[in-house]
Amino acid sequence: MPVLNSVYRHREAGHLLTDLDAYREAGGFRALSSAVADMEPDDLLYVFHRSGLRGRGGAGFPMGRKASFLPKDSRLAKYVVCNADESEPGTFKDREIMEMNPFQLIEGITLAGYAIGAERGYIYIRGEYEHQARILDEAIRQARAAGYIGRGILRSQVDFDVTLYRGAGAYICGEETGLLESLEGKRGQPRLKPPFPAVAGLYSSPTLINNVETLSALPPIVERGADWYAALGPEKSPGTKIFSVSGHVQRPGNYEVILGETTLRELIELAGGVREGRRVKAVWVGGSSVPVLGEQHLDTPLDYESLNAVGTFLGSGGCIVMDDSGCIVRSTLRLATFYRHESCGKCSPCREGTTWMEKILQRIVDGEGRIEDIELLESLFGRISGKVLCALADGAVAPIKSALHMFRDDFVRAAEQGAPRPDPMLPATAAS
Amino acid sequence: MGDYAPVDLTVDNQVTFELNGRPVSAPPGTMLVDACFAHGVEVPVFCYEPRLGPPIGACRMCLVEVEGMRGLQTACSTPVQQDMVVRTDSVAAKDAQDGVLELLLANHPLDCPVCDKGGECPLQDRTYRFGPGRTRFIERKRHFPKPLELSTRIALDRERCIHCFRCVRFSQDVAQDGQLTMQERGAAQEITTFTGDPYEGRFTGNVIDLCPVGALTSIPYRFVARPWDIADTPTVCGVCPVGCNTEMSLREGRVMRVTGRANPNYAHEEGWLCDTGRWGYDSVDAPDRLVAPVVRDATGERTTDIEDAVLAAALVLRTEGRPVGILLGPSASVEEGAIALDLADAGALQGARVARLGIPGAALAGLRALPGAQLSDLDLADLVVVVGGDPGAQQPVAELRIRKARRFGAAVVTVGTRPHALEALDESVRTVPGALAEALAAVTSRIAEAARPVVLWDEADLAVEPEAAEALAAAVGGNPGALQLELGQDVNGAGLRALGIPAAGVLEALVAGELGALLTVHADPLEGPGGGVWDAALAEADIPVVAVATHAGRLTAGADVVLPALTHWEAEGTLVSMNGRAQRVRTGGRGPGEAAAGWELLVALAHRLGRPPAYRTAASAFRHASERHPGLGGITYDDMDAGGVPLPPAAGPVPGEGAPRAAAGEGLPLVVTRHVHGGPVAARSAALAATRWVGTLQLGAATAARLGLASGDGVRLTSPHGSATLPVQVEEGWPEEVAFAPLGAAGYPVEAVLPPDRGAVRVVLDRVAAGVAA
Repeated sequence: MPVLNSVYRHREAGHLLTDLDAYREAGGFRALSSAVADMEPDDLLYVFHRSGLRGRGGAGFPMGRKASFLPKDSRLAKYVVCNADESEPGTFKDREIMEMNPFQLIEGITLAGYAIGAERGYIYIRGEYEHQARILDEAIRQARAAGYIGRGILRSQVDFDVTLYRGAGAYICGEETGLLESLEGKRGQPRLKPPFPAVAGLYSSPTLINNVETLSALPPIVERGADWYAALGPEKSPGTKIFSVSGHVQRPGNYEVILGETTLRELIELAGGVREGRRVKAVWVGGSSVPVLGEQHLDTPLDYESLNAVGTFLGSGGCIVMDDSGCIVRSTLRLATFYRHESCGKCSPCREGTTWMEKILQRIVDGEGRIEDIELLESLFGRISGKVLCALADGAVAPIKSALHMFRDDFVRAAEQGAPRPDPMLPATAAS
Repeated sequence: MGDYAPVDLTVDNQVTFELNGRPVSAPPGTMLVDACFAHGVEVPVFCYEPRLGPPIGACRMCLVEVEGMRGLQTACSTPVQQDMVVRTDSVAAKDAQDGVLELLLANHPLDCPVCDKGGECPLQDRTYRFGPGRTRFIERKRHFPKPLELSTRIALDRERCIHCFRCVRFSQDVAQDGQLTMQERGAAQEITTFTGDPYEGRFTGNVIDLCPVGALTSIPYRFVARPWDIADTPTVCGVCPVGCNTEMSLREGRVMRVTGRANPNYAHEEGWLCDTGRWGYDSVDAPDRLVAPVVRDATGERTTDIEDAVLAAALVLRTEGRPVGILLGPSASVEEGAIALDLADAGALQGARVARLGIPGAALAGLRALPGAQLSDLDLADLVVVVGGDPGAQQPVAELRIRKARRFGAAVVTVGTRPHALEALDESVRTVPGALAEALAAVTSRIAEAARPVVLWDEADLAVEPEAAEALAAAVGGNPGALQLELGQDVNGAGLRALGIPAAGVLEALVAGELGALLTVHADPLEGPGGGVWDAALAEADIPVVAVATHAGRLTAGADVVLPALTHWEAEGTLVSMNGRAQRVRTGGRGPGEAAAGWELLVALAHRLGRPPAYRTAASAFRHASERHPGLGGITYDDMDAGGVPLPPAAGPVPGEGAPRAAAGEGLPLVVTRHVHGGPVAARSAALAATRWVGTLQLGAATAARLGLASGDGVRLTSPHGSATLPVQVEEGWPEEVAFAPLGAAGYPVEAVLPPDRGAVRVVLDRVAAGVAA
């Protein structure tokens, strides 16, 4: 289904662009050709900056500003690293881009590389994305053969090549410094910051790290102009965002919307809405590591600021919907288990804290909870969140903390009686 | 406590900041933890360890509040800044400390009453001082089968581990053996080797000292003693000439364990030990330890008491007219050497010839006169040149300091014959015996151009190549910023040289038939280089022998009087490290049976010989020696108190010694290595049995093929001085047409093929029938 104002060419074209000719036909590589021919790297950086594009991986940091942090006078090699370790639960938008439109990513990485003066880009793809890795591999090969990457790209003096690197399946390697460690062949664990990757990243060299969706947005921005992009959606959150909608919706999938112009309710409707007779109980709108929202938040517009205003984050856009047949206590335990399993173990508070929180929630679900366990959990949040090197602990605490806040009655009931196993076939009122 | 880096508060241009409401200052770049500690505020840490390199900020124990910075900061990784306002005692900081400890203890077994670390445990101590009094954790804790043997010497109790990564960083960054790693993730992670094989290396025991909990413990020390029933004595290791500073834990006079001891502010020593230095102490109880005096006379052989034996020795040493030869072994202390000289000079054994077993160093005088480096000087070097030797095998801890210099940015260049671990760091120039001078030409210009080069040179290799020694001395002497550091061979060779005792004279007099008796102190010439020559000379001379020795050997088996002596784990004394630092060996221990300190036995002998000396204690003997021998620089025991004192460089060669003779014999040049981990201490230690380095004759692949030899074959080495038999090990990529063999390896007396002066030698190799046990 072609989408108007789409930033991603396969969506606009309505078909796969895994072949170089098909991508070129859809307008591919025009941006790169004109950039290399007519633009200075600094002009390109300025375009990124003016577009207002914010990082689509989760943190939402302005992409142009991040790129401008790289020192201009460094004698070290510079790198572009594409974070394709799409591991946030409920998120599968990067997969779509890599699967259907790999050249747009390659073109975006190359534009970023040209802008910062790098000669090498890496795509760090999660180990589980084997199929997508093959598609990218083939696309890189075709792009190199056609002279879009490699030595003297597009018959210019610019050298830039792209290497695909497959991870081994750890959530923490989506954290940018954990990713860099892993890319260097080490155990994937976040680094102490500062120094930040812009100054000392891959092999201690200046490095720009961006998400697949972010880098893929660059070619249309360069082609159509920063003003076009900046005019999409609200001033501080311009552009489109692909939301991966999953859970209790009738048409789960990826939906690209212009930020600020669509509400959460409309997004869920786009995805077919919840089943007949069911109501939305909880929504994790930006992946599993953001505070959960309830039914009362459904009219919130989807953009960075509006979501912050209701206490959550746009995150990666992995929108998980749960209707009233689900049990928030069990769902929260499931997320706690995920974070306990994925905590890398470097920082004590995260390693021990995620373990402890899971054990308490497990006890509550098993009917062995105590009412004071809720207070115990709440007292642990501040001892874990913000006390560590990276954001994983914040992500582990946010869904539990927000669920306790928003659905306290469910937790109190579970602490007293345990959490019954929900039966999706039961009438809506019977589920806790 | 060795957890904080030293801070020099006397330098100019410090930054001023506020610490808990008090204005303080520290040099720019100082990490907050260290600055706080220097100002009397302890910020608790677990993962922070300045010796392991840059901070990693993992344990989160050191969170403090810094005004204007969002959230709490890890003091281990936050440098001080001008006008910073730091609170380590605010409600938020205290809550963070409490919180981290509560979380660390959540899964910790709290089995302190049965844990070796209990009573000296940083986790325990910091919990008492900074942590919560009670736990809110009611869940089931993790359990593991316990303990896991990381090696035959290191036990791992996984449930006690707080995942501070110190051991892993030691293995990866300091020893760079690439072995220890964390396996799994999060709370499930465990310390293990990458391959799952035992953690083996030369420095593995340091991870025990580094562990801030009882997760890594020493198997020989496990359940042996408690911190409150041992007394720690600061002393010095006498296993090799590096002279590492150690802490010896004693209970009722017996050594319970040896741990590393850093100097205050890491002045010279960082507290690393090699495994032989750490675990070799059980060699004091080896079956061949001498525990009672033996006298062999016309009435036969009898075991007796010290008084009787000293009397017998005095009788034997009263030679009519002919002088006594006094031979000091490589580990004889300065006191023992000085008393021997007193006996000869003015005392009871007037005219005695005194010599040490060692390498005549006439060719080395030029190098030794140049400004000497301490190991800590390597930290500031921009170029490190290793000439000859194999530091990792012969002076193990020097290797760690060279690796550290490399981490700090120095280029490391090796020049020499033996393939060794340090060759891989930067550049290596391989040469063959006799061609060192030409090989040095490749590095002399680099020494001249560097700002602060440190040149480490091997005593044995340069003693036999005077041209190379001269060229190297010229290169080092030509750069005013250059320092030299001798990689010595003998534990106290430098101390005996400082007394002017030559590595020559006694054998020559013996062969000439001039000696009336031989007195040896920690010396067995029959088991050393040229043993066969000594054997023949002693048989020919047929003179009585008095041996002061710690363990049985070929000499004590036939000596007329054997006086059992104490080892350096038991006796007081002074040892001078290879780079000329005089350090005190302290005791508190007692030996087995009748064994007494060597210096005391010599004093007793002087009394029995009718010329009692003026000193009665080791301290007064040393003071007396220091007054008489300018080489000791007039120092006293008090001067050596903390970290030892560097002696003045020798003004010239030791009178009476030349250089080892040039290569003799036919066949392949022989290159020998005195491997600390295969030497007598390692051989006698039960704790080191599983890792003891076993000597082999190592040959390059083409040479072995030419000779028709394969790994495992037995081969006999024959030189003009003697022969030895050992198994062959073929080494790919090693220099061809050179034979490499160990010294000191139990069962393989390669020493026998060497000349007594340890000069260069060639050997003929003959394959022997199978049956050489490895």
